[in-house]
Formats: sequence, C-alpha cells, structure tokens
Amino acid sequence: MNLRKPLILTVVASALVGSLAISSISASAASDPGVSSSEIVLGMQLPQTGAASPGYNKVDDAARAYFDYVNSKGGVNGRSIKLVVKDDTYKAGLTISTASKLINEDKIFAFFGSIGTQTHVSIIKDINRRKIPDIFVNSGYSGFYTDPKKYPTTFGGLGTYTVEAKILGKYLKEKYADKKIGILYQSDDFGRNAVAGFTAAGLKFEAKKTSASFIAGTQGSIGLASQLSQLKANGVDIVIIAAVSSATAVAYATASAIAYKPTKWAVISVGADATTFQTILGSKGVPAATSAAMLAGTISASHAPAPGDATDEYVTAFKKINDDFNKGADKRWDNNVMQGMNIAYLATSALMGVGKDLTRAKLVAYLEDNGSKLSSAAFAPLGYSKSTHEAFTGFWLGEYDATTLLAPIDGKRVVYTTDSGSGAVTVSNYMRPAIAADALPKVA
Amino acid sequence: MKNINLKRLIATLGASAMISTGLVVAVAAPAQAAEPVCVTDAKTSTITCDGKLSNGAAYKTMVPSNYGGTFYFWQHGIRPSYPYPGYTVPKGVEQMAPTSVNHKIDTTKSMLTLGYGLASYDCSSTGLHGWNTSDCVEMLNELVTITKARISIQKTIVYGASMAGAILTPFIEKYPNAADAVGILAGVTPSINNELKSGCDMLYIFSVFFDPTIKGCTAMGTKGVPGHYAVLGDFAKVVTLLTQWSKDSGSLPLAYPAALATSGIPQRSALLLAGLIAGLPTKSANFDGISTSALVPEQSINATLAVLQNAGELLGTAYFGGQAVSEVVGAGFYDNTKTDFAALLSDADLGRFNLGLSGDDAINGMLATLAASPRVTGDATALAKVAALDKSKFDTSKPVVLLSNEADRLVLPGNTPLYLNKARAVYESKLAAWRSKFKAATTTSQASALLKSKPIWNTVAMYAMTPETYTKFTAAGLPDTTAAISPSGVGHESFTKDQLMLWVRTLASSAKTGRVPSSGVMAANMAGVVNLNTDPDYQPNELKYQD
Repeated sequence: MNLRKPLILTVVASALVGSLAISSISASAASDPGVSSSEIVLGMQLPQTGAASPGYNKVDDAARAYFDYVNSKGGVNGRSIKLVVKDDTYKAGLTISTASKLINEDKIFAFFGSIGTQTHVSIIKDINRRKIPDIFVNSGYSGFYTDPKKYPTTFGGLGTYTVEAKILGKYLKEKYADKKIGILYQSDDFGRNAVAGFTAAGLKFEAKKTSASFIAGTQGSIGLASQLSQLKANGVDIVIIAAVSSATAVAYATASAIAYKPTKWAVISVGADATTFQTILGSKGVPAATSAAMLAGTISASHAPAPGDATDEYVTAFKKINDDFNKGADKRWDNNVMQGMNIAYLATSALMGVGKDLTRAKLVAYLEDNGSKLSSAAFAPLGYSKSTHEAFTGFWLGEYDATTLLAPIDGKRVVYTTDSGSGAVTVSNYMRPAIAADALPKVA
Repeated sequence: MKNINLKRLIATLGASAMISTGLVVAVAAPAQAAEPVCVTDAKTSTITCDGKLSNGAAYKTMVPSNYGGTFYFWQHGIRPSYPYPGYTVPKGVEQMAPTSVNHKIDTTKSMLTLGYGLASYDCSSTGLHGWNTSDCVEMLNELVTITKARISIQKTIVYGASMAGAILTPFIEKYPNAADAVGILAGVTPSINNELKSGCDMLYIFSVFFDPTIKGCTAMGTKGVPGHYAVLGDFAKVVTLLTQWSKDSGSLPLAYPAALATSGIPQRSALLLAGLIAGLPTKSANFDGISTSALVPEQSINATLAVLQNAGELLGTAYFGGQAVSEVVGAGFYDNTKTDFAALLSDADLGRFNLGLSGDDAINGMLATLAASPRVTGDATALAKVAALDKSKFDTSKPVVLLSNEADRLVLPGNTPLYLNKARAVYESKLAAWRSKFKAATTTSQASALLKSKPIWNTVAMYAMTPETYTKFTAAGLPDTTAAISPSGVGHESFTKDQLMLWVRTLASSAKTGRVPSSGVMAANMAGVVNLNTDPDYQPNELKYQD
C-alpha cells in the first residue's frame, strides 16, 4: 500500500506543521522590517550635536539630499528611501539606546552610514546578532570589516585607516628619508589601526619620543601641549596626525602657541577636512584666512575627488543635487557632504542591484557577491567580497593649497592601492566609470 | 537576596571595626513534619496556615476567600547562615510573594486580591540558609506535594528570585509534573559558578592593584562561623577601599604594584577595568553611564562611578555567596591559572571606556601587570564540584517566564539571556529531531501522533529598563547621589509593581494554557508597562563565563 500521497495531503491539509518552518522563513524573508512596497527605511547614527559634531553633522543631510533626489526620480524599484537619523552626540551609551529606537520604533531595514569608531563598536555585535545590514559605516577601523565571520552584516564606507596609513607612510618614508618622522595619535582603535599601517609601511616610531599619543576625547579638555612639546623636543620634522578633526585643530593651534614648526604635517583624511578644521578654529576666534594658511602645505589623502575639484563630473553632479535638495542647516559643500552623497549613491546602487525582492539577507549577499563591481565617486574600487567587507581599497595623496583645496602632489593624481594586511602598496589601474547624465547609478 | 541588606553592611563595616557578636546557629531540624496551624483573617477571610516541613523548616500558605485554583509557591533567594553586624539570621518565612527593595513593594496583597493562593517556606537545612540548593529542590517538592494534598489546586506555579533560579530550574527538570509554570525573577540560571568566577576575578584584581592582603575567594572554604568571620574580615578590606573611593572618586594614582606605582594611572581606571572584566553593569542607581557635567567630563567617568556604586553588592555577593558555596564544595573552588584577563575585555569595552581606563598605554600596563601576577590555583575536587553545582539541561517543556533588570548589580542580567539561549539551543535540537521523525513518518497515524508531540518554544524573558539618562548633578557639577535613583532597571529584585504584576499574570496565563503568551500578546502587554523592554530581541551584556 502506498501511503505517501495521502499522508502528504493529510499533513499539508490538516496540520501545516511540516511546512511551518519553511513558510515562516519565507514569510520572514518577505517581511523584513523597514521595507514595504512603497518605502525602504534606513537608519543612521551620528553626532549631530556636541563637541564631536562639527563637520560630521553634515553627512546625514547630504545623504538625505541624494535619497530625496532618487525619490524624485521614482525611487528604487518603486520604493522611496527614507533616512531616519539619531543624534548620539558621540556618546556610546546613547549609541546603544538610539540603535534600539531605530530598530524597534523606526523599524529600519538597515543601518546606513553611521559615524564613529568608538560609538559603533558598542553596537556592532548586537546589530550583527540580529542580522541587520550595517552598510557603509563611516569608520575606517579595519577591525569592523576584515573578518566577516565576526561581523557578517557590516560593510565599510571609508577606506580603512590601515590602508590609508600604509599608502601615506610609504610616500613619507621615501620622500622624507632624511627627516625625522613622528606621530601624534589618539590611543584607540582608530589611532592603533593607523599606527599599524604606518609601521607596516616601514616607519618606526619611538614611544615617548617620536610617538605621542593622547586619550581620545581629552584633546579639548586637557589639550595636546605635552605631546607637541615632546615631538618638538625630539626634533620631529614631519608630524603625522592620526586623530579626529577636532584634535588636528588643537594640535595646529598648540604647535603655533609653542612655536613648533614642523617641516610638514601629514594628516589621516578623516582628521583633515578643511571646513571642519576651519569651523573648529573659527569657534576659537581664529579667522578663516589664518586657519587656511595653517592648513596649507599639509599632506593628506583621499579616496574621492577633492570637493573643490570643479572639473570632476561626480563633484559637479553631486554639488548640484546638494544645492537643489539639501535642507540641512549647513549645506556648504565639503568633504563631509561629498562623503554623505557618495555613500547614498552606493546605497542606491546596492538596493537597485538586489532588485524588487528586497530582504536583509539578500542585501548582504549582494554586497558580498557584487559590491566590488559597484562604482561611485571614488577613484578606488570597493573591496567587498565574502572574505572582507572593506570599502575603498585605494587613496591618492595631496597637499592642501592656500585655498584649502587638496591638490594632487606634484600636480598629478596617482591612486595607490593595498589591503589592510601585509599586501604591498602598488599603483592602482582602476578606471572610475563615468557618472550617468541623471546622476543615478546604473546597475545591471 | 531580599534579606541581605548589603548597603547597611557596607556602611557598618566602613564606619567601624567589626564587632564580635554572639552567634546563633540554626537549630537542627526535627525528624517529622508538623501539621499546619491555620487562622482565618476576620476582615478578609484569608486563611493563613503555618506549618513545618519534615526537616523542621517553616512554611506558610495563604488562601484568599476568592481563591480560584491557581497557587504560587515562592522560592526565596540566598540568605547568610550566620549573623553579621546589622543582620540577624531569619527564622521562619519572611516573604510570601515578590517584593521590590527599591520601590518598597510587597505584592502579597495584590496577589491575594486576584484570588491566587500563596505558599512560601524557609529553605533552611542542616543549619544552613546558603547554597543548600539541592536540599531546597526537595523541600520545595515536599511543600508542593503536601499543599496539593491539603488544598484543591488546579494550576501550580513555582517562582522565585535570585538564587531561586538555581533551585527552580533543576526542580522542574527533576519533577516535571510538579508545576505548570516556572517564574525566575532576577535569577541565576542556574549555575552560580559563572558569576562566582567573575566576582572572584574582581576580588583577585583588587588584590593585585589595591591591597595585596585581600584574599578574595581564597579566604573561603572554612566551614561554619570561623569561615564566616574570615570572609567578613576580608570583605572589610574591600569596603575600606570602596569607602575611600566614594570620597575621592578613585582619583588618586595607583600606589601598588611596583610596576605601576609611578604610572600615574588613577585608581578609578583600575576599578573600571576590574568591573569591566567582571561584567559589572556600567549603569547604577544614580549613574546612567552617559551623562556628563563640568566635573564628570566624559561618559566613561560616569560609568566608572556606576561601577563604584555597583561594586559593593557584587563583591558582597561574591563573598557571601562564595562562602556559602564553599560550605558545599569545599575550599579552592576558584582557579585563575589559565584566565586570560585581556580576553575578558570586549572590543566594545575598550572603545567605549577608553578614556575612563586612561587610554591604551594604561590599559596595556594594567593588563600586562595582571598577566604577570601570581595566579590562584584551585583545588581539583572543589573545582569539579562547583562546576557540577545546580547543572541543568534546560529541557523543560513547561512555560518559563523570566524577569530581570537591565543593570542588576548582584545577579548580573546576562544570566537571563544565558538561560534563554541555552533553552533555545535545546528547543532547536528537539525540533530538528522531531522534523526528522516527521519526515520519516510513513503512515497518517504516525504523523498525527507526532503532530501532538511537536516541541514548542515555551520561554519568554522580560527586562526592566532604565530611562536613557537619569544622573543628577549639583549646580557645581558634582554627581548628586541624594537625588532619586533610576525609576527602573537598576538594583537587585527591584521592580515596579506593574512590572512584577505583569510577570505574575503572565505566569498565571502560561500555567493555564501550557504556553507562554504569543510574541504579539507579550509585546502588547509589555508596551503597557512603563520601562519594560519594547524590543523583543533585546539582550543585555553577556556573562563573561557561560558554562
């Protein structure tokens, strides 16, 4: 007697039990929070207020401006993109509570572009436990991205500090072989990550002599006088700064106050944004012309075009969208606005790429499988794969001119590439695809 | 741990030298149980009966006039077996129903009003009130059995707080038909060994950085009053430190050990390090771990003050819980010869509290010192015994409802997700096995029979949360510890009445249906109670040890 058919029919008809697991998985997949037929909700955390906010507090408005532009063109697969933003004031306790609000009250589909290493490290484990995509994080800390088994849903939104430091370090070592090179860094994941990169590039620092550190967050209250005095006393000619913009501003002001004039300053990009630098010094009464002069000659790096590069097609396109759609209090065009626009462009690309059947799992899988093929304003490709979730794998080096424009060293932009491990620094042969006339990504 | 007023003890120890007092050791149990003596309240008609279990331990039942057939059996938490200044060893039943220390709430009246029968007993055996958990399992079973024989009970609920978790979980696994639902309030779940190791770690770190004469968990193991006093004496050293830090906020530089004596690292950084390694909450009654002022310039300083405020109770628990455990397993139950203290600090700890820890150089210096410090070698027999203590399988099919504070400083909140995760793993495994069987079924009768035995997920956890911020400062920017404490989420066995009563009602409905409420019903119920977690997937920080 063949019981198979009646059994199956009986089971399916009466109990639903055997299929329960499968149907619940499908149902869950089809109804991930934050995505409906008409909308995709993304959540961002950043310091909109407080001491760490200058500059960074423009990224959300810029990203939203780009999403609003996309929405004005019909959205992504018929869905508009909504960006919900929470101000964590750069305090990790608030990062935890605001993350909970984004998840439970705002029902976000994914975290997007959240800013800050120390803050994000407080929630990254929980976000990943919940399998929520955590895309284009505005932190260059490689520890978030180089072990996807540890943080499977997190993807970077900046080149890592290690990659940048390796590239910058190689240049400084070769260019200033006869000079004494020292470093000022904040003693946290950011600073440590950068020091590792410079060390990998062959630079050697001597603790308490050519290497000076400070505890992140004390640059405003305690200041950096002892650190700068130490570097001065040890005859450091080239001072590298691996710290946030507010620390860079304090360092320059302190050096000026103690009559310390290094031959060169070299600053990791997130600490070298010109408008942030000028805003912070401006709040202390330093005129813009003076702060511009202080910054002039500083070496830094970027994965993207300089915001002041009027010849760049992405800059032109994004700048226009910023003019037309940015409703923020401060929409002045700068690195932060450019970065906000660029990661919004990338998010749009990824959401388009996943297609109509958008789920959290599919977004993560799409970025691992196809993320490295996505283009953006960056001159370096994305590194996303199953083995790493690092974003931009290359940087070009520049020097700030008197107008606070980061101009390529020697007048020619050369993009270097490497990884966050022991790979060599080489010249990149990546050719950035052109931006479409409508400034929307074209994803197959 | 309602009956241990550690705050008072800490104050007493801090204020004066210990006073030797005459000790009364619990009297040996009589051989036979006595019949209960019952009285009826003239006003409410509630019938209260007092009786003795077969070993002489007291029990009490209360049946209201509107009794509806649901009976709650309360299991209390740990009690010291010996007195100390400001504390007398209890005799008899102290508590009939959940209470809240912070909120000065006793739910007995509310539960009686709802028509619930109540029972409670004094888990005193062989002269001990402490970690006699295996005895408590049997005594609770006896109480349930004799009460069922005397009173008509339709639904039986066993519930309790703190150490009760180490009794109720093994209880329902050993006596699966004895109860219809299990409630664990701020409970260990169930192995105390996890948390004990963290408490002992913290004491060890204190001995390395602050006072080498502190013996910590190596002071434990002598039975009886001498052991109790040895522990009290050691605890007094810790209290001296805590008292000093409460005055100077630990701002003085480390004076010890030699390797760090000139480092300039403030003592508060080493305290924070010890707290983080132990997994102590970085929120406390007055400190939210976030708020800043002119004198508390950064969030991690606030968190350090929270750790300071929490440390006394965790360490008090380590001392008294550890001593109670040592009476059962013997001396030498703590061993840190293989402990990697650096690995016990999470990435999040190092990032978020970097400034409070005085930065990377200080962290590295302190960790290097810990790594190089002589370690404690335990006793193999005691270690095996403590590891086996209160072990459970987490395989009960009965509804289990847990309630915990987000920042419980005594039974750490990570106990609750540990229970949940272990129960979940067992459930997933059972479900997978069931699915295999179901797939293999070849007859409709086989399939139908299997449908009736499909495993169900029958555990739910609730958390009482703190508000986002609540630290109050004086006009000068000093933390104001005289201000109102957080209205929720802090302290041990401290919940609002609404939180407690939702837990009680959830237990009743679960016992009635055999299942915990659906996630939708739970979400709706929890949304109606202030400061319960609205995030169904919320999990507090994990325990550092998860055996």
